[in-house]
Amino acid sequence: MRILIAEDDFASRKFMLKFLSKYGECDVTVDGMEAVDAFLMAMDADMPYDLVCLDIMMPTLDGYQALKAIRDIEKDRGIPEEECSKIIMTTALNEGANVNKAFDLGCVAYAGKPIDQVKFESVLRKLDLIS
Amino acid sequence: MGDDMITEGMLDMFIFETEQGLENLENICLDSKDNGEFDDDHVNEIFRIMHTIKGASAVMMYQNITTLSHKLEDVFYYIRENQPENIPHAELLDYIFEVSDFISGELEKIKNGMESDGNADDLIEQLDAYLGKIQGNPAGAHAGDKGTQAAPVSVPAEKPHFYIAPVASERSMFYLIDITYSKNTDMANIKAYIAVNALKGIAEDILFTPADIISNPESANVVLEFGFKIALQTTAAADEIMELVNSSASIEQVEINECTSEEFIDFCTDAEAPISSAGEILMEPIEQPTVLIDEQKPETIVLTEEEKDTFAQKAKSEKDTGRKKAPKSPGKRTAVKKGETQSFISVNIKKMDLLMDLIGELVIAQAVVLQNPDLQVPGLDLTNFQKSASQLSKITSELQDAIMAMRMMPLKNTFQKMNRIVYDTSKKLGKDIELEVVGEDTEVDKNIIEHISDPLMHLIRNSVDHGIESNEKRMELGKTEKGKIILEAKNESGQVWISVSDNGKGLKREEILAKAKSNGLLGNRSEKDFTDKEVYNFITLPGFSTKKQVTEYSGRGVGMDVVVKNIQEVGGILDIESEEGKGSIMTMKIPLTLAIIDGMIFSVSGTNFVAATNSVTEFIRIDEQQVIVEPDGEEYVMIRENCYPLIRLNRFYHLEHGKDKMEDGIVIILSHEDRKIAIFVDELIGEQEIVVKPMPNYIKKVRGISGCTQLGDGSISLILDIAGLVTE
Amino acid sequence: MEEKKIVNEQDEKEQFMTFQCCNEIYGISLASVREIIGLQQYTSVPETDDYIMGLVNLRGKIIPVIDVRIRFGQEPLEYNDRTSVIVVQVKDIVIGLIVDGIEGVADIAKKDILPPPSVSSLKMQSRKYVFGIGRVDGAVKLLLDPDKLIHDIEETDLEQMSNTENEVE
Repeated sequence: MRILIAEDDFASRKFMLKFLSKYGECDVTVDGMEAVDAFLMAMDADMPYDLVCLDIMMPTLDGYQALKAIRDIEKDRGIPEEECSKIIMTTALNEGANVNKAFDLGCVAYAGKPIDQVKFESVLRKLDLIS
Repeated sequence: MGDDMITEGMLDMFIFETEQGLENLENICLDSKDNGEFDDDHVNEIFRIMHTIKGASAVMMYQNITTLSHKLEDVFYYIRENQPENIPHAELLDYIFEVSDFISGELEKIKNGMESDGNADDLIEQLDAYLGKIQGNPAGAHAGDKGTQAAPVSVPAEKPHFYIAPVASERSMFYLIDITYSKNTDMANIKAYIAVNALKGIAEDILFTPADIISNPESANVVLEFGFKIALQTTAAADEIMELVNSSASIEQVEINECTSEEFIDFCTDAEAPISSAGEILMEPIEQPTVLIDEQKPETIVLTEEEKDTFAQKAKSEKDTGRKKAPKSPGKRTAVKKGETQSFISVNIKKMDLLMDLIGELVIAQAVVLQNPDLQVPGLDLTNFQKSASQLSKITSELQDAIMAMRMMPLKNTFQKMNRIVYDTSKKLGKDIELEVVGEDTEVDKNIIEHISDPLMHLIRNSVDHGIESNEKRMELGKTEKGKIILEAKNESGQVWISVSDNGKGLKREEILAKAKSNGLLGNRSEKDFTDKEVYNFITLPGFSTKKQVTEYSGRGVGMDVVVKNIQEVGGILDIESEEGKGSIMTMKIPLTLAIIDGMIFSVSGTNFVAATNSVTEFIRIDEQQVIVEPDGEEYVMIRENCYPLIRLNRFYHLEHGKDKMEDGIVIILSHEDRKIAIFVDELIGEQEIVVKPMPNYIKKVRGISGCTQLGDGSISLILDIAGLVTE
Repeated sequence: MEEKKIVNEQDEKEQFMTFQCCNEIYGISLASVREIIGLQQYTSVPETDDYIMGLVNLRGKIIPVIDVRIRFGQEPLEYNDRTSVIVVQVKDIVIGLIVDGIEGVADIAKKDILPPPSVSSLKMQSRKYVFGIGRVDGAVKLLLDPDKLIHDIEETDLEQMSNTENEVE
């Protein structure tokens, strides 16, 4: 599977890359804007990402904005819901309001940092991304 | 999930909502247990609750809770859609309670930071079997429905969401770190960044100020001048942080202070402003219980004419306090109208306590001003002063009532818990018992509620276990009515009375007396001399239990004495009434609030004591002839044909220089319940509203003293524990 | 408040509030000292140990005060204008220590703190609470462990409490 990781913090980025590399090919961006660009590029190349992991607190475009942009692009291109990329927010913001905002914007899962790898994997399984 | 929850963590929110759901669930079940079935509203409500819990637990990835609640949801989906008749109701209730208990148990684990690892498979299997059973009921199921009911297809499938809780983030702490570099440090900004970098390994969240240390070389000066401040969220301990940060030789000092999440957020929002020096308040623990406060309309507090005049009366009655003042009626609240939308805010109980303390101080300060000796100059015209003073008193008294009202909570929740206890205990004992609840809207101070829950539970269990006879026994005795316990709360003369009455076998006077005799409690009084009350009070003594065999629910030897102790802790008493063969009534009489009381102040050899004014019956000067000395040294005083045990406080507490001659001092008659004692003191000082404070922990419990308070002149006075003295 | 840590890079020094009591100079870690107040009117509490003098009002907070002299098993000294109260906090307990007089604050390096001699010239009970002997400029300060002071009392307290309970029964 193809994975996009957007994360501005180096340590977290390294962690995510190491953690997710075993499931597929990972691309890494350092802010939300880059993530949206990467997403568009992948789509144009007809190799869309199966999984996108977005940090929330990022420069230029934050995780919410990036999430919304990606969902809007997908809607614009008429991609059916079941084929949309699965998006997981990865963030240290754990207040209920943040989580619900992200759910409303269309992410499928919300992972608090530090990330619980076991649960993360079980979500990937539930999403049929890994077996 | 309203906006008011905005600062709640995801996990807290899940726990809170699930607990509320379970509470509703239990209430519905207990409501319906006598009807033999759920009505449509109940079915819908239970379905909705289980659906919510299922959804929420799925998001939180508590698989066991999700599967179990899903199963119960299925059962109710079937009931809702197919309306089967003759559902075994009692069995269903049991399953619901089991589900509820399972989920509560898991929530407890989650709250304590443990894995939710309970296995609900057995229960799920049982529910499956139950579902099969009601589906197999030919009267209910339509042939075509079979097979499809299991999944609630009518519920629109929601997009799944998952919340992956961070690892151990529940235990993470917040710190404010302040680093001072020595003045001649080069590139302090870079050194500061190294410290930040070192912390990143352990940080869940990190913020610092000045924030531009990398991009702006000028920031080095700011760092040198004001220090470098870091806000850190981490699970690491302070010394670990210290080790990571304190690696540079140019660091002069590192200060690490724990802070609350609020302060952490404050740091985020105004990282520009230098943080105020970390004072005491920064160190309060984060997790504190919060209390929901009913936002009362101000106009609901109405003062009566009588109370408006309180101050005036008080000023006048300073000298003639010989008569007991009518107890003030606190709790002037009116019920909020139904249908009116209520807005609630949730306030940290610490803040409420602080407000309460401050108002207490205000009351004292007011007493200092209004009773100032400077006002005692003869011939001073105080008309205007008195007018303003009474205005001030009115406001402080309203303020006091307002804070009291805020702290008041209905007994509803506590009472509802009892419902479940009766249900469980009576079921296990095979007794058919009905619980009637009266006056659950009665309100009591939050602190008091916490103290009465346990004793109340004990009383209820006692009634179920020992009070009410087994079904067979009742039949034998010809008692036709069902076993019944009435739990009642009401306001009565400035107190709250909570009574547990049952129609069981009542207390056996002879049995108790026999036991008391064998324990040597009767002294040399003859058995006939004891009033029923005195006899019943024996059961409240430690280790006194007439029940021969110990059962699972009560009668472990600890028992009534613990109940009484708990009640006394909040200044209450337990009143026991009973009629053999008919049942008994246990009444807890507790004050509405603990914090501020009217006190009568008197002194004994230079030490000031206070007694609650409403326990003072009278005071009187007597002469030595009225004192009767028993051969064993016990003293009594004879006042108008009444005989009271006498305690000379100076001798009782071995205080030197106290007045010894009856003629020189004064005797105060104190009453507690129906018992009275006389205490002998040097002189009366006056009357004042006092703020009750506990004795500092450091001082061990002193007999006859329940707390201390600060008087108008700033001196400290000890509060007499009348209940304790009476039983001495 | 216990989280507060002061680290001094150049030299591992700790600050002690020093005071006179029974012709000795004692020191108590400055970290546990909240403030110094003059002796004010206290209200004695009956049936407490003799060294617990009573309760004082510290700006609305009621705290107990103990006479360190009596605590150390010495004869009480009549209070005078040098008598001071050191308000210390150990965990949740805030308590006032009545001492003969305040001397000042001493910086004592860790290396200058020696363990108390096992057979000591300190004949009095204070020995139990001294965790070290600090040397500053040739003078000797007996360093007190406030935690020990409190805990020791709590233990005897518990004993006494259970004793009185038995009496009641």
